[in-house]
Amino acid sequence: MAEAALSLRDVRKSFGPTEIIRGVELDVVRGERHAIIGPNGAGKTTLFNLISGRFPITSGSISLNGERIDTLEPQQINRMGLSRSFQITSIFHRMTVFENIRCALLWSRGYKYSFWSPLWAQKNLNQHAERLLDELNLLSRRNLQAGLLSYAEQRALEIGITIAGGATVILLDEPTAGMSHSETEYAVAMIQRVTEGKTLVMVEHDMRVVFGLADTISVVVYGQVIASGKPEEIRANRAVQEAYLGALTE
Amino acid sequence: MMDATVTQPEITAQAAPAKSSRQLVLWIVLVLMAAALPWLFYDFHTGRHSGFLLTMLSQMGMMIIFSLSYNMLMGQSGLLSFGHAVFFGLGGYSTIHFLNAAEKGGLPVPMELMPVLAGLSGLGFGIVFGYMAAKQRATAFAMITMGIGELIATAAIMFHHFFGGEGGVSANRMIDQSLFGLSYSSSVQVYYLILVWTVIAGLGMLFLTRTPLGAMANATRDNFERAQFMGYDPRRVRFLQFALSGMFAGIGGGLYAITYEIVTFDAVAGALSANAVLMTYIGGATIFYGPILGASLITLLQSGLSLLSNAWLIYVGVLFISMVTFAPTGLAGIIEAHGPIARAGRLRLLIVPYLRMSVPGLALLLGFIGLVELLSFLTIGQAQGKSLVLFGNKIDIKATMPWLITFVLLVVGTVWLRFEIRGFARLWDDVTADLKQRSV
Repeated sequence: MAEAALSLRDVRKSFGPTEIIRGVELDVVRGERHAIIGPNGAGKTTLFNLISGRFPITSGSISLNGERIDTLEPQQINRMGLSRSFQITSIFHRMTVFENIRCALLWSRGYKYSFWSPLWAQKNLNQHAERLLDELNLLSRRNLQAGLLSYAEQRALEIGITIAGGATVILLDEPTAGMSHSETEYAVAMIQRVTEGKTLVMVEHDMRVVFGLADTISVVVYGQVIASGKPEEIRANRAVQEAYLGALTE
Repeated sequence: MMDATVTQPEITAQAAPAKSSRQLVLWIVLVLMAAALPWLFYDFHTGRHSGFLLTMLSQMGMMIIFSLSYNMLMGQSGLLSFGHAVFFGLGGYSTIHFLNAAEKGGLPVPMELMPVLAGLSGLGFGIVFGYMAAKQRATAFAMITMGIGELIATAAIMFHHFFGGEGGVSANRMIDQSLFGLSYSSSVQVYYLILVWTVIAGLGMLFLTRTPLGAMANATRDNFERAQFMGYDPRRVRFLQFALSGMFAGIGGGLYAITYEIVTFDAVAGALSANAVLMTYIGGATIFYGPILGASLITLLQSGLSLLSNAWLIYVGVLFISMVTFAPTGLAGIIEAHGPIARAGRLRLLIVPYLRMSVPGLALLLGFIGLVELLSFLTIGQAQGKSLVLFGNKIDIKATMPWLITFVLLVVGTVWLRFEIRGFARLWDDVTADLKQRSV
């Protein structure tokens, strides 16, 4: 088995007396596209929040490329090469589209907290941002305030911000939620393009997207991973059918 | 439709430098005007500059630096501080001590570079207090800065060695150390020192908005969590922004100390901190030059209006509330909103509606001023033995007529203005909707 880019061991999370995540075991192989599915309220987004450091875990361990990350803060985890998107679009709404993308590039290009490098003179940085905008098909929206973009465009920007920093492990939380059929197809093609050669973990409800995109699928039900495997295995898995897929076809 | 989307970026790309170069020219002209203004009011008979004007312009310079530095927190980082005067004041106190040291020959720093020391003092205090405040954001941050403000204001009265107690500390600015051999005995020399430093500090702060730190300050303002997931620690961004903002406020305070040669606890007190909020908000926190407008306007009112009326603070307060309610983007926001309309050549559509609104607006304003002044003369004015004089006529404030006129102006103005505003809002929506249609 190839080395795991991300591995979770007996991860638990309680909010007050309620245990939301109840001993998750998960391995994401480097370079694969890994979909996490499960009914509403199963804890998929919470899982993302734990992995990315938004919330601390109650017990267990999370490793990124073999290094423990479960006690680190989001920015530290991000610097180690993990980036995430949000289910509810999370962009800088008062800044322009270009500025949004450029901000996302700053840390990985070593600018840190510099207050002495004038941004307008950073040719490589600005060209890189332009190139990314082009890839996201947002170049014509370059100088528009991000808050004024259409919903689908904001989702594209969200993904752009997520991948811009060059992270090798990308977590996407329902990237196509709320999109029309054609927008979804377009978004899937774009996700495929921009995550080429990276490890992708995504929460997704749209089964066409899941079965079209994923190499591996993990099913989360009631705070536990009940099955993990190739799409065809998952489709054939009885426990999954009963707990989740069955509920959909009823 | 296709054509429009293809050509639009080109248009904006061409328009942007043209716009910014026009703005650059405008600012250069304004600075030159500020430099020339003392000579326009020069009295050739006595050979003196207008003291009133110089004091006002000097005050404007300091307040511009002060409110621009405040906006590094409020507008650019989304941090509402209620203790910004601390850095202005401490910069001032430090400068008094530097001047005293220089006079005794213990500090060979020329006058022109004293503001650098003041800035470094502000930076030092910014680092100390930033360490306390910048871990928090939103309400907690506001509360901590308020606490720091009260702390230092109290300390200023209690600790005599540094602050001099109630009487403050004073110095003599004629330290006889200058790069250009200037004595700074006249206030016009001090004014030019302030003008130069206002430009330097203003450009410095403008530069900061265009650096990675400046960009990330905006980012953490909009969405601090997202900034975290891009590798940035929002606390660090806030801390650096806070410390640098303290540095510029310190420069403002240093110029204050040089100008007045005395610093008392007023310079760190809550009222001045509140003034920072007022100036920045009225001028417009969302645009870089907003605080410049706000500081200029408030200083103008402070100098001019305070001579005319006991109640001038009431007018400033009402102006503040009106801006918060009706124009939350401030004066600069109002100006910027007209930019696209002007570029589309539609500005003249608005002239008549503005004139129509100004009539009831003026009535309302006069009615309000009348009411405030009558009330003020009924109490304070009478106690001071003053009487209300309007157009050379002494007004009997006990008679019915003045009160009645005031009241009618107020009521008619209000009702009429509401009516006009409704019409104007419709027109404004039409014009902006039309512009949007054209740009898409």
